Amino acid sequence: MALDIEAIRGDFPILRRTLPNGKKLVYFDNAATSQKPQCVIDAMSRYYEEYNSNAHRANHTLADEATTALESARERISSYFGTSPDQMIYTSGATEAINLVAYGWARENLGEGDVVVLTEMEHHADIVPWQQMSIDKGVEIRYVPIDTESFTLDMDAFEVALDGASLVCVVHTSNVLGVRNPVENIVEMSHSVGARVLIDCAQGAPHERIDFDSLGADFVAISAHKMAGPTGIGCILVKRDAMAEMGPFMTGGSMIKRVTTEGSTFQEGHAMFETGTPRIAEAIGWGAAVEWLDQFDMREIHNHINDVASWTAARMREIPGIRIYGDPEREDSSGAVSFLHESIQSQDLALLLDEGGFAVRTGHHCAQPLMDALGVPSTNRASFWIYNTMGEAESFVEYLGQVVERFA
Amino acid sequence: MAEDRKWPGHLDPVVEEFRACFDAMERYELLFGYAKLHPSPLPQEEWNDDNQVHGCQSRAHVICSVDESGGFLLRGGADAQIVQGLMAVTAIAVNGMNPSEVAEMEPDYAEAMGIRSSLTPSRANGFLNMFKRVREEAALFQ
Repeated sequence: MALDIEAIRGDFPILRRTLPNGKKLVYFDNAATSQKPQCVIDAMSRYYEEYNSNAHRANHTLADEATTALESARERISSYFGTSPDQMIYTSGATEAINLVAYGWARENLGEGDVVVLTEMEHHADIVPWQQMSIDKGVEIRYVPIDTESFTLDMDAFEVALDGASLVCVVHTSNVLGVRNPVENIVEMSHSVGARVLIDCAQGAPHERIDFDSLGADFVAISAHKMAGPTGIGCILVKRDAMAEMGPFMTGGSMIKRVTTEGSTFQEGHAMFETGTPRIAEAIGWGAAVEWLDQFDMREIHNHINDVASWTAARMREIPGIRIYGDPEREDSSGAVSFLHESIQSQDLALLLDEGGFAVRTGHHCAQPLMDALGVPSTNRASFWIYNTMGEAESFVEYLGQVVERFA
Repeated sequence: MAEDRKWPGHLDPVVEEFRACFDAMERYELLFGYAKLHPSPLPQEEWNDDNQVHGCQSRAHVICSVDESGGFLLRGGADAQIVQGLMAVTAIAVNGMNPSEVAEMEPDYAEAMGIRSSLTPSRANGFLNMFKRVREEAALFQ
């Protein structure tokens, strides 16, 4: 059954708003964060209205309800990602998830001269923690380059970089290029040399069903807010044997077994890494988001987004002076269309598009090494999701054409 | 306009020109025009870390000085035409003024011109950071 996009749009109240200049909002900044359906907003409000209480801390009714909701959300979310709750650690998002691998796993297991393989396509969240680990522990970082013609990873260089690697960290889908990397192949190749693998699925999870157990990666980082969930929550999925190798990252309340003036002992499993009061409302909201997403076939969602993105990119290529970075027309590309105009600076273009009601992202997208590889300081990026329509894409291309004609 | 304005009187015609625009896009078009008519541009060859205005998503650079008659001189350049246009208008406003007057100026003229986006700090498009830097440098010449 085809997706009913209008019905889907009806679940998102924000899509009905107009901007201060009277223009109707056309939201094309989904790779930065998605909008939230009413059921997510309601689930979070209900928690605050009806059973707000700290989880895991008391025996009263509200605390019990909050704890049950928090742990039910963990079960629902981990199940959605094809794994069990004991392999999921709540974090504030993908950035904290990757930092948890750096400070919880790598700090315990890597040392001078151990090799961490990254790619030029990574978000800063998957670069800076490893640079810090290089300073702190002396690990060697190798970067796999991208082919700037095809905008894909140089897999021959990847194979060379793997020699002697202890950890491989690769983005599932580029937030700039929309390119989906061959992560299944990367996991297999990395494991064949004995390296652990971290896949950054912040952009991948909103576009395809991530099945952690089937994928076989040791670590998978996910953010809720790009897949209809609230900001401030995400998770790291960790294989049991990898979690057993981890030490505590943040310490304090919740993660301890016993504290004396002489020292402390820690909880085991995910509880060791969830320090302090949990993000209860956010976890409940994320649980509602995956339940909402679960009603759809993610392949249909991907096909819809890919149709809109590839149509848009093809029309944009016809506008004089527009250059697209990435290959949105590829069947496995996500909905990100990065572009520049040869004479209209990206900030100017974004403001001119905003005047027409179109919300697009501008900047280096927290991927400056990728910008360096592409030879540009920034790009504009239109990124599409489940509720965007071909009609919106048509109006965007028409308006962009008018802006170029007027301002170039 | 004279009673309530907080900018030098010689900027009135510029503000009026922007106010007379039909809509925001026409104002942007006019601003792009002013970017090309910057009275004291700073060529890219002179852009460096010292004169960069920080906190802007786009690149913006300013050098402030005082001429032999004591008049303030703002030389500036930006890669974004909207920022460059606002710099040009600012230069029209402040060039030749006493530095102490520049140090006391407010950026209200941009709002009066109807450049709504320039006054939203979260957009970080550079104008407010540029204006703050100009005012701080003017204070040093007092």
